[in-house]
Order: sequence, then C-alpha cells, then structure tokens
Amino acid sequence: MSLLSKQSKNTVVDPLMANNPISLQVLGICSALAVTVKMDTAVVMTLAVIAVLSISNTVISLLRKMIPAKVRIIVQLSVIASMVILTDLILQAYMYDISKQLTVFVSLIITNCIIMGRAEAFAMQNGPWRSFLDGLGNALGYGLILIGVAFFRELLGSGTIYGFQVVPDSFYAAGYENMGLMTLSPGAFIILGLIVWAQRIIGKVEQE
Amino acid sequence: MHDNRYTIIFTTLITMVLAFVLSSVYSSLEEITEANVRADIKKNILTSLGFKPSEEMPWSRENVEAIFNESVQSFVIDDLGKIINDKLPEDIDPKLNVNLFPLYRKVVDGKIEGYAIPISGKGLWGTMYGYFSIEPDGATAKGITFYKHIETPGLGAEVDKPWFQQNYVGKKFIDKNGQLVGIQAIKGKVDDSSSESYHQVDGISGATMTSKGLNNFLLKGLTIYNPYFEQVRKESKG
Repeated sequence: MSLLSKQSKNTVVDPLMANNPISLQVLGICSALAVTVKMDTAVVMTLAVIAVLSISNTVISLLRKMIPAKVRIIVQLSVIASMVILTDLILQAYMYDISKQLTVFVSLIITNCIIMGRAEAFAMQNGPWRSFLDGLGNALGYGLILIGVAFFRELLGSGTIYGFQVVPDSFYAAGYENMGLMTLSPGAFIILGLIVWAQRIIGKVEQE
Repeated sequence: MHDNRYTIIFTTLITMVLAFVLSSVYSSLEEITEANVRADIKKNILTSLGFKPSEEMPWSRENVEAIFNESVQSFVIDDLGKIINDKLPEDIDPKLNVNLFPLYRKVVDGKIEGYAIPISGKGLWGTMYGYFSIEPDGATAKGITFYKHIETPGLGAEVDKPWFQQNYVGKKFIDKNGQLVGIQAIKGKVDDSSSESYHQVDGISGATMTSKGLNNFLLKGLTIYNPYFEQVRKESKG
C-alpha cells in the first residue's frame, strides 16, 4: 500500500507537467510575470498560492453539497478571498520585507483564474482529500513555472541566483553586462514562451 | 434544489464565519504587523541617512532598533523651526498637530552627520512617502528614499531605484543668495555645464507626472523645515 493511490497520485502529478496550468492551460499569467524578477519573491508567491489553493479547494469541497447552485461562484469567491487575505496578513506579520515586494500581487491571487478554475472544475465535484491534492498539484505546477521563469530572469537580469552572485566579477570586468530586458515584463514573456515551446516539444503535446 | 430561504441563510452564515475568522486573525497579528511597520520606517530613516546593512549586522528588527537608538536622535520642531523639548515624533498626530513636524538627526561620536525629514505628496497614482536627508551644512542633499508608493513599475516606481536616488546626493537645494529652490528632477539628462545643474537631477523618462509631483512635494517639505535649517546654515557658517 503506497502513501497515495494511483488516482490520487495522478491528481498531484498531472498538473506538474502534462497538464500544467500555466504552460499548457495558459492561466494565471499576469501574476506569473509580475513576481518573477527575483527568485525569493517567486518562491514566497508559490508558497502563498499553495496555501490558498489547497485550503480553498478543501473548504469548497467540504461545502460542495451545501452550496446553493445559484450563488456558488460568489461563495467560492468569498472562501478564496478570505484565504488570500489570511495569507496576506500572515505574510505581513512574519515576512514583512517580502510582502512589501509582492505588494498587490498577493491580494491579486483572488483573481488568479487557476484558483477559481480549480474550485469550479474540481472541488465542486470531488471529495475533500482529492480536492486538496488537486489544489496542491496545480499550485506546485504553477510554482514550478514561476520559479523556473524567475531562475532565468534573475540569472540573466541580475547575475544572481536567489540573491547570491553567480556571475563572477571578472565577467563584468571583461565587459559582460546584465540583460536589463530580463528585469522588465517582456523578459518574462520571452522566457515563458521558450518554456512553453520546450515543453511542447518534449511532451509532444497534440495541437488542437 | 435549494430554495431562496436556504440560500439566504447559507450565504449569511458563511459570510459571518469567514468574517469572524479574518477579524480574529487580524487582531491577533496586528501588534506584530505594526512593529514591522515601525521598524520599516526606522530602516528608511537609516537608509536615507546613509547607513547600510552589512554581513555582520543584517537589518533584522532588533538590529535596526539598536542602530537607530544609538545613532539617531528624534526631535519635534514647530513651524518656526524651534525644537519642542517635551515631545517625540511618536507623540504627534499629523491631523491634530498641524504645526509640529518630526526631525531626525544622525549623531556619531557626538558629531552631527546629517538630518532626515519625512516627505510625502502626490505622485501620478497616489501619495508617495519617503525621507529626504540633509548634510550638516543644512543646504546639501545627503540622500532620498521612498517606503511607500503606488507608481507604475518600470516608470514612476524607478524613484525606488539606487540610480535615481544617487543623483540627489550632493545637490544643493539653496541658491547662492540663500533662497530655497528645492531640487528638480528634469526631463532628460542634466547638463552639467548649466548654471542650474546644482539643483537638478536626471528625470525618469516616461514618468513626467511622478517627477513633477516629487519636485513639488519635496519643495513643500523643505519649505516647512526651512526655518530650522536656516538656523543650521547660519551656525555652520558662523
């Protein structure tokens, strides 16, 4: 008996690669571009989304039989919004500097289509445990791309990885310059485009 | 299918539960968050006064507190530039005490090394808050920092960036006749041969409104503190 059944395992693993919410479903792009200049903000954003998505999915799944169909979107939104505000409050109390850098983007998790999408498409039909796993998987899939994009943007744009300088001073002395473009939004689009491209080649995704 | 009565009861209940959870978390974390905000303000005052975090002394909340207590004196002055002895910046409520202003002084080994004043005013999208620091001569900029603003990233938000803030260092906000002129962020690059360049800095391209706002409220802030710095200038000359 493994820790997770095969079905549960697929719920978590699927969104990581084969059905990644960002690179395949192309959801949640705006926040993905905004917080990926540096890796530390991308990591904290990922943790915030993991917390919000897995908890809100679980709560909505627990309530799914009680939620009146007419007002289900509003109820889902209030649960999600509350989780986001909660996360924001905790960040402000315990990770103040990072929460200042993330500014509005934590609150904007509310409007992240991945979260509403999972609530409506998965949590309303499935039990709490599987919904939790689905939330976790999708948040990890989101985070994987976020951190991947941030890795390249920080390396090329600032010459650092997670704040540590990796491009040696001798390179700069020899005339190497950081790519300013990478610290701006277009840099994120280019990296993300390349990731999507690479993934479609490796994964041999069927074109619709 | 649920009827309308059920829908109303359900939504009311869930709203109440969520509101209760949020407000109890908010009130239990309020103290820590406020301490963070206070430490952040001190950190900004320190930055504008030229302090920098180091490997041995990273800017944790405790270290910021320690450095601040050791090297920075806080005062309150009135609109005539007189120091009010029995008040501290924490005591003033900007709404009630419109004639009292906080002032911070960097003192190392008994020697005054600079002053910091709060500046704030409208940028393009909203109010910007920061500190402006002044050399002991009372006429030269020592630094500028911002701790809160909602300007456009990549454009107005460049006021946060070292390249922009560095330009202020060493600029004079007093002309040769002793009149307050402020420091202007101009369009494009400063022409160093111009007779006006002593109080001009390179503007941010694409952020004209932010620069204009900044120029205005910096001058306004300096005007408020001018009576005090007039005395400082007299003393440093005499």
